[in-house]
Amino acid sequence: MTTTQGSGDIRLVDVSKQFGSSYAVKNVNLTIPHGSYCCLLGPSGCGKTTILRMIAGHETPSAGEIFIGDQMVVGKRPVERGTAMMFQSYALFPHLSILDNVAFYLKMRDVGKTERRERAREMLARVQLEHLKDRMPAQLSGGQQQRVALARSLITNPKVLLLDEPLSALDEFLRLKMREELKRLQNDLGITFVHVTHTQPEAIALADMVVVMDTGRIDQADTANMIFNEPETPYVARFMGGQNVLSGTVASRAADLVRVRAASGALYEARPDKAAKVPAEGAPVSLAVRRDRIALSPRAEGGPVVNAVSGVVEATEYQGTYVKVTIATEDGSIFVANVSDDAYFASPVDTGDAVTARFRPEHLHFLSKVDTGAAGDPYLDAH
Amino acid sequence: MTPSSTNRSGWAAYLQVAPLTLVLICFFAVPVALVVIVSFFRYQMLVGIVPTFTVKNYVDLFTNPTTWTLYASTLKFTLIVLVVTFVLGFWIAYFLVFHIRNLVTAIGLFLVCTVPFWTSNIIRMISWRPVLGREGLINSALQNAGITSQPIDWLLYSDFSVVVAYVHLFTLFMIVPIFNSMARIDKALLEAAIDAGASRFGVIWEVVLPLSKTGIALGALFVVTLVMGDFFVVTVMSGGLSGSATSGIFNDLQFLNYPRAAANAVILLITVLLIAAGIFRLVDVRKELVR
Repeated sequence: MTTTQGSGDIRLVDVSKQFGSSYAVKNVNLTIPHGSYCCLLGPSGCGKTTILRMIAGHETPSAGEIFIGDQMVVGKRPVERGTAMMFQSYALFPHLSILDNVAFYLKMRDVGKTERRERAREMLARVQLEHLKDRMPAQLSGGQQQRVALARSLITNPKVLLLDEPLSALDEFLRLKMREELKRLQNDLGITFVHVTHTQPEAIALADMVVVMDTGRIDQADTANMIFNEPETPYVARFMGGQNVLSGTVASRAADLVRVRAASGALYEARPDKAAKVPAEGAPVSLAVRRDRIALSPRAEGGPVVNAVSGVVEATEYQGTYVKVTIATEDGSIFVANVSDDAYFASPVDTGDAVTARFRPEHLHFLSKVDTGAAGDPYLDAH
Repeated sequence: MTPSSTNRSGWAAYLQVAPLTLVLICFFAVPVALVVIVSFFRYQMLVGIVPTFTVKNYVDLFTNPTTWTLYASTLKFTLIVLVVTFVLGFWIAYFLVFHIRNLVTAIGLFLVCTVPFWTSNIIRMISWRPVLGREGLINSALQNAGITSQPIDWLLYSDFSVVVAYVHLFTLFMIVPIFNSMARIDKALLEAAIDAGASRFGVIWEVVLPLSKTGIALGALFVVTLVMGDFFVVTVMSGGLSGSATSGIFNDLQFLNYPRAAANAVILLITVLLIAAGIFRLVDVRKELVR
C-alpha cells in the first residue's frame, strides 16, 4: 500500500447536530491526534454514531466546524475528506461480486477494468479472502463480509478509517480475533481509526484514546487507563463498570486527608493526590472507589467505622479469577465488591449475610462532578 | 418420523394446494384450452362453428396485412408507454423512497399517486377531452398566450392522446413494484457508494438501478400486458383512427367468427408470453423475490 497523504488528525469545534427540536450532539469539542486509535464509547442514543457520521460526511453538523488535518471539511464529500467508513451492517453491494465490491471505488475513479480488478485482488489478499473473490456477499459468513467491508474501505487509501460498531454483529470468538486484527492493522497502516462502540472492554482493549459520551455530550476523553482509574464524573465511573460511587459533604480538609460525611452518617477519609480538586468545606462531593480495592468482612458491631459500607449480600457471582459480591447497603443503594477468589474462598459470604466493605483512604478518588442521581442516566440503576 | 406420518403429511400438502389448483383449472387452464381448441375449428358463414380441424384461421391472420399493421401499432404503443412509464415511475419511486425522510409523508404522497384510480377508467379517459381538444385547455391557453394562431390538431384523437391516456392509466403499475424494490434497499448502501466516491448519478446507476431490477421487470410486465390487452383506450382516444391487436379480436367477435377470434387470441397470448420470457431472461424475478 502507498503511504497516506496528509495528516489524519481530527478536530471538532463546537459541533452540534439537531434533529427536529432535539439535539443528538451538543457543543462537542474533541481533538483526535493523527495515527491514534480512538473509541467513541457510550450507550445507544448518546450521539456517538452521529459524530462518526459527521466526520464521514454523511451527516452535516447544525453548527460548528470539523477539521481533518488542516482542512475544514464540513460540506465536502467523503472522498475529498480522505475518510473511509465501515458500516455497521457492512453495506456490501448485494448485486456485485466480492471483487467488484472492493473495486467499486476504483471504478468510480474510472480506473480500467484489468487494473482495478488486479488492485482489488491485492487488497483481498491482504485480508486473506482472495479465494472468495467471485462469491456474492450473501454467500459469505459475517466475519468474511466484515473483511470485505474492511478491504473496500482501505482501497480508498484513507487518512481516517471510521468504524461504526464493527464488531457488534460477530460472535464472541470472532469478535476477539477481529479486535486484535483491527489493532494490528491500525499499527501497520499508521492512520487514524475512529471506532464507535457501546462495549467497554472493546474500547479499553483497543483505544489509545477513549471518548466516553453521555446523551449528546462528551463526559471524558482520555487514555483508557485514565478513564478506567480516574473517571471524572459519576457517569463515567459507573459506565466503565469498575467503580462504586459514594457521595457526601466535605466535613474537613487538610493537606493530606479529607473527611467526607455521607447523608447516612458514615464518614469517609480520603487522601487526594495533588491533581485532584477538592471542594471547600461543606460543599457536596462524590467519590469513587474501584470494585477490586475493597475488603469484605462480617458485619462490624459497635461504634462508628471510617471508610466502610455495611449491608446485606444480595448476590454473588463467580467470575473465575474473582467473585463479584453485590451488597444492598443500609441507605438502599448498591455497592459492588470484586473479591479475589483466594480471599473469597478463605472466608466465603453468601446471599443474605450481613457484611461490611472496607477500603483504604488512598483508593478513594475525587470526581469533578457531584452525583445527582439524575434521571436519564441509564446506568444509575445498573449494578 | 414414521413412514405412515410422512404419507399423511404428504396427503395433507396436496389437500392444502387443492382449492387453488381447482380454481386455476376451472378459471384458467380450461378456458385457455377451449380457446386453443376453438382456434383450430372451422367457421362457416351463417352456420357458425364447425368442429373440424383446420389451420385456416391462422393462415388467414398471417396473410392479412391488417394483422401485421395492428400488431406493429400495438408494439409501438407498448414500447413508447413502457419507456415513458419507466422514466416517470423510476423517478417518482426514487423520490418517494430516498428523498422523503418522513415515512408518513411518503405514504401520503404515495396515496396521492393513487387518486386517479378513485374514478373509473372511462371518466379518466374522457376527462382528457376538455384538456386536449381543439377548444380545450391547452389549445386555448396556447392561443391566448399568442404562441399558436391555430389550434393544434394532433393533441386529441391521435397517437399522442393514446400515449397520454396510457401513461396516465398505467404509470402507477410501474411505480408500485419499483417503490417496493427500492424500499428494500438498505440506505447504508447509498452512503457506502458515496463514501467510495460515487457521484449522485453513479449511486443511481451502479446501486439503485441494479437493485430495483425486480420492480422494473414486474412493472414492465404489468404495463406490457395492460397495453397489449387494451382496445378500449386506443379506440376512444384515437377516435377510432388506431386499433390494437385486441381490436382485431373484438371485430371478429362482433361477426360471431369465434374461431378466428380464438386464433387471434392465441397469437396475442404467445406474443405476450414471448415478451414476458424476454423480461424474465433479463431479470431472474423469482430468484430476486426469494432473496
